[in-house]
Amino acid sequence: MLKVRSPQDLGAGVLFVLIGLAGVYFGQDLAFGSARRMGPGYFPVIISYMIICMGLIVTVRAFRVDGPAMEKFRLRPILMLVLALAAFGFLIAQLGVIISSFLMVGIAAYARYEKVNIVETIVFATAVSAFMVLVFVYGLNQPMPLWWKS
Amino acid sequence: MEVIEHLATGFVAAASLQNLLFCLIGVFLGTLIGVLPGIGPIPTLALLLPVTFGLDPLTGLIMLAGIYYGAQYGGSTTSILVNMPGEASSVVTCIEGHQMAKRGRAGAALATAACGSFFAGCVGTIFIAAFGPPLAAIAQQFTSPDYFSLMVLGLVMAVVLAHGSVLKAITMVLVGLLLGLVGTDLATGHTRYTFGIGGLWEGIDFLPLVLGLFGIVEIIRNLENPPPARDTISTRLRDLWPTKEEFRLAWPAALRGTGIGSILGILPGGGAVLASFASYTVEKKLTKRPHVFGNGAIEGVAGPESANNAAAQTSFIPLLTLGIPSNPVMAIMMGAMIIQGIQPGSAVMTARPELFWGMIASMWIGNLMLVILNLPLLGIWVRLLSVPYRFLYPAILLFCAVGVYSTSTEPFMMVLLIVFTVFGYILFKFGCEPAPLVLGFILGPLMEQNLRRSMQLSRGDPMIFFDRPISLTLLILAALVILLVISPQLRRKREEAFQEE
Repeated sequence: MLKVRSPQDLGAGVLFVLIGLAGVYFGQDLAFGSARRMGPGYFPVIISYMIICMGLIVTVRAFRVDGPAMEKFRLRPILMLVLALAAFGFLIAQLGVIISSFLMVGIAAYARYEKVNIVETIVFATAVSAFMVLVFVYGLNQPMPLWWKS
Repeated sequence: MEVIEHLATGFVAAASLQNLLFCLIGVFLGTLIGVLPGIGPIPTLALLLPVTFGLDPLTGLIMLAGIYYGAQYGGSTTSILVNMPGEASSVVTCIEGHQMAKRGRAGAALATAACGSFFAGCVGTIFIAAFGPPLAAIAQQFTSPDYFSLMVLGLVMAVVLAHGSVLKAITMVLVGLLLGLVGTDLATGHTRYTFGIGGLWEGIDFLPLVLGLFGIVEIIRNLENPPPARDTISTRLRDLWPTKEEFRLAWPAALRGTGIGSILGILPGGGAVLASFASYTVEKKLTKRPHVFGNGAIEGVAGPESANNAAAQTSFIPLLTLGIPSNPVMAIMMGAMIIQGIQPGSAVMTARPELFWGMIASMWIGNLMLVILNLPLLGIWVRLLSVPYRFLYPAILLFCAVGVYSTSTEPFMMVLLIVFTVFGYILFKFGCEPAPLVLGFILGPLMEQNLRRSMQLSRGDPMIFFDRPISLTLLILAALVILLVISPQLRRKREEAFQEE
């Protein structure tokens, strides 16, 4: 009877195998060549096979050696932060750095498991956005649109 | 004395007003971010990397080196005052330093750490100046097979010295190598794993990768499991100076730590973490008053703090002479140098001496500034620790995003940042350390290039790696290291060593 003794290792092992398989699969169109004349696919495909092997070893060990339990996935922080990053990335070209920074900080505030004080968040987001603009646009002379395109 | 002449060139280059200013800013910002609990040198460097891109290469690198020292010192401050190590190399500082702080000797511990670090920094600088040129001369005899074997040894050592599972660390290196190969293959002109995305033709961009894996994942970790309320020591920092007795105990430890750190820093895979652990072990063995260890022995602060700073300096040697980063922090420095258009290696010293020696001189200047800046500003750093996390993390997040955007306005960069955030999050859940991945990522193209050249030289015969004495020696070393790790006895020792964390 197989029993998972190290859930973390099981996850890691399966992830590694998947990465290796992807490396082999997407590398098969690349010319492999020979040791003497390595094609573009030679090194990556060999590495991918090594990753698959290691992944299998880690997976097998997960059933034989005890390891720490997996922490629960608590999705709120990562979802909100990714949303904040995405909003920033897609809006900055249209709305400029000030508004997108403000929105980003606003969205990110909801990533934590606490009550959010809206007034405080607005004041803070304004201050931080202004600071970033001072540092990057005026301090470091990075070319960025300040406001929306008119 | 040639060394002095070289150093003089360096000081002339480094001591321009602009360079001094940015060195100061670097040390300041590095300490500022490094003080924040849970943020070690790697995320600090990653966060501040974009700030240095707009500067000219020497100034940018000087600033980056300053950030590194600052971050390390900031980490020690946090360890001593709140018992929260920012990263592995200050773990041992936590043990004794925090105990000292509890006894009201926080000021003395901080001053000892600063002075020990400064002394070690001076020695480290001289070390680099003295050993850099001969090593670079040796490096010029290296051929492709030697480089390949050296990288194998470096990666093996880095894996062994990383904490956590060795198996997973090896695989992370391999995954890093694979990611490093994405983009156009320079030798054949083929694009690999680009999926028709233009933004990947030149390879995966370094900045979103590091910021995602280290910066943003760190925030998510803290939000998922808010760190427990910390007992900040509110001590009178006026009692800054060690007593005579403390001084008498501290200086030999600092001396030993400096020696240990200088040597361990040069080794492939070595660096600050290894050095501070080794120094702590030595002090514990040598002490005449073992009962004090664990209860705030000042030797346990002076030794490791000197050792990690000395190692931080000398680990630049392999990077600057061989062009090979020996640990993840150096991998980030190498990434920064490449972005600045410099391919690290022995050629830098001959082709651009002012850059090479300027950086070395700036290391000393940076260490000096660290002392001048930190002792008076201690009060500010301490107060920074009481800033609530709900203000810190959105600011850090925004800094990452604006930083990435400032290097490239391509929307795809933000996609990469998100991808690596999610990837890093999954790795964290599965207990995989991302640091070895970064090392592999930087070394991927270099390894392939040298493997390819070696095989061309030998017409496909892998024996070339065993025919050349340098390469053979390096491979034997790598094999020995692997054997040592597999041997059960040493394995137990290694686990014990990391247990103390």
